[in-house]
Amino acid sequence: MHLDRIIGSPVHLKILKFFHENQASIDTPRGVATWVDEERAKVKKALEDLVESGILIAHRATSITGYSYTNDPKLISKISRLLEKAPRAQ
Amino acid sequence: MIEDTADHIYREELFDRLRKSAGMKRETECFGRLLKTVSWWIVEKESPKLPEVEKAIFTGCSCAKGSPKSGHRRCAKIFLDAIGKAAAEKRLVRTECSKGLHGFVYPILHSDRLFGYIGACYSNDPAAPEVLDMLGAFTDTLVREVQKEHELSKLYETLRPRAIALSTVHTVHRLISSTLDLNELLPRIARLSLQIMRANRCSIKLVDSKRKILLPKVTVDLRAKKIRLKKVRVGMFAPGKAFKFGRPIRGRNYLSAPLIDADVIGVITLYDKIDDKPFTQFDQEIISTLAEQAVIAIKNAQLYKEQEKLTTGTIKALAKVLDSRAPGTYIPRASFVKIAIAIGQELHLDSDLLKSLEYASILHDAGEIFVPQDVLAKPTKLTGEEFAMVKGHPAAGVEIIRHMKALKSATPIILYHHENFDGSGYPKGLKKDQIPVGARIMAVVSAFESMISKKPYRVAKTVEEAVEEIRRNSGTQFDPKIVDLFLKVMKRKDIRSILEKEAYAPR
Repeated sequence: MHLDRIIGSPVHLKILKFFHENQASIDTPRGVATWVDEERAKVKKALEDLVESGILIAHRATSITGYSYTNDPKLISKISRLLEKAPRAQ
Repeated sequence: MIEDTADHIYREELFDRLRKSAGMKRETECFGRLLKTVSWWIVEKESPKLPEVEKAIFTGCSCAKGSPKSGHRRCAKIFLDAIGKAAAEKRLVRTECSKGLHGFVYPILHSDRLFGYIGACYSNDPAAPEVLDMLGAFTDTLVREVQKEHELSKLYETLRPRAIALSTVHTVHRLISSTLDLNELLPRIARLSLQIMRANRCSIKLVDSKRKILLPKVTVDLRAKKIRLKKVRVGMFAPGKAFKFGRPIRGRNYLSAPLIDADVIGVITLYDKIDDKPFTQFDQEIISTLAEQAVIAIKNAQLYKEQEKLTTGTIKALAKVLDSRAPGTYIPRASFVKIAIAIGQELHLDSDLLKSLEYASILHDAGEIFVPQDVLAKPTKLTGEEFAMVKGHPAAGVEIIRHMKALKSATPIILYHHENFDGSGYPKGLKKDQIPVGARIMAVVSAFESMISKKPYRVAKTVEEAVEEIRRNSGTQFDPKIVDLFLKVMKRKDIRSILEKEAYAPR
């Protein structure tokens, strides 16, 4: 998923903002859904989209998947610039 | 000084909220209509000076437009007196401005502390005391509401990062507790540590049996493709020191924490933060918490590994006892176990099932101990009675391992490994998916092993001949999917190499 499309989707944008503001966080879809106040199913789908885009990293275990933010400094600063321009997530 | 700054920030935020609050807007509208208000104003200081009062009053005062500066000053003085009185009496104080308009000053209090004042100038007619009482009560409620809202928001700002951090710790705990395989666990701990600490490199070292050297177990580096694993002597460098002193060692670009159980078992070290900032005291606390979790998971995995070794040892000992009757019959070739597991891996079976496959590989024909040796070695066709004895060996094998709980999951593999894919096998004549997948694998591999082994009643086949025989029976005796994987595995160099070695080794 391209960054511009991510910015255009409210759920994706909220998740992106959450991880950008809490870069040391590792959380499950359930946890992220709580922090961004969105439905778990939508969050789960969005998290996988963000993993596919290289923005998030999935830590997969037998019964749980934890998601964390990218370690790529270039991508992080690109996201930073984009978030400044992006509309405010509700 | 810090307290003063915090107090100032609190006051600023409080008044900002008050000005923006919907309640304040409602109050000024309602009472404005009732009192024909000229202007409302807020003073944000406990003891304001005259210019501050003057500025507050005349920012929104319409009657001040065009008035001479001296008029402003007179009004401000009147209100400053009223402010002093309101501060002393801590209640609403009526007053009259220089233009003869009635007004009031109301102190903004919280737990008996003064934060500032709300005031207004209204019509020529004095307001009824009941109206002003009501205004006071309304203002009080409004201020309390705004203060509560402000405190809640502060609490949220303080608690949210902690709750997020706690959730991270909980997720990490679940992630590292979900495996008992050390080869999987240690890289996982390293990767998760990198994420949490936002570092470029993480290394985990465990101490050797003599407790002198830290042996590198895993290093994950986000920058390097090739990684050299280095041993470290206890007491040397950050990892060696963290181990020796049993406490974290921190430098600008490294942070090493001991893995402490009853004793120190190893060290986890992080290097170079991705934002190039130094490691902090907070990082040290986080890695210490992570190390506490990691050590429990590592100890569990080590105990599990020991338990597994014990189980495998027991099984091998049992096979050895059984083998003493007919040497070379019950102890399987290493290649046999390896081929069975390789097929299981190709099928992406979970680790428990792979373990069962390994155990079953060793003991699948254990039940033959109950079959007379002359029947097993009979070179001619078996009688009906003799064949019935042979058919009973899977159930007899299950009976032997019945009391070993660790082998429970291997039971179906042993019991059904002579079932044929087309339903023509024994003991139950199961077909296709009715046969457990482990038993379908075992059927192929045990048949292969039997064919390449020398038997009293026939000459051993070559590996190529045995493979061809398996291929020929695909879909009838054997599951075609398993046969395909068997053929794939048989092309592997490591398997071929073991088979070649075994061909010359005495059994």
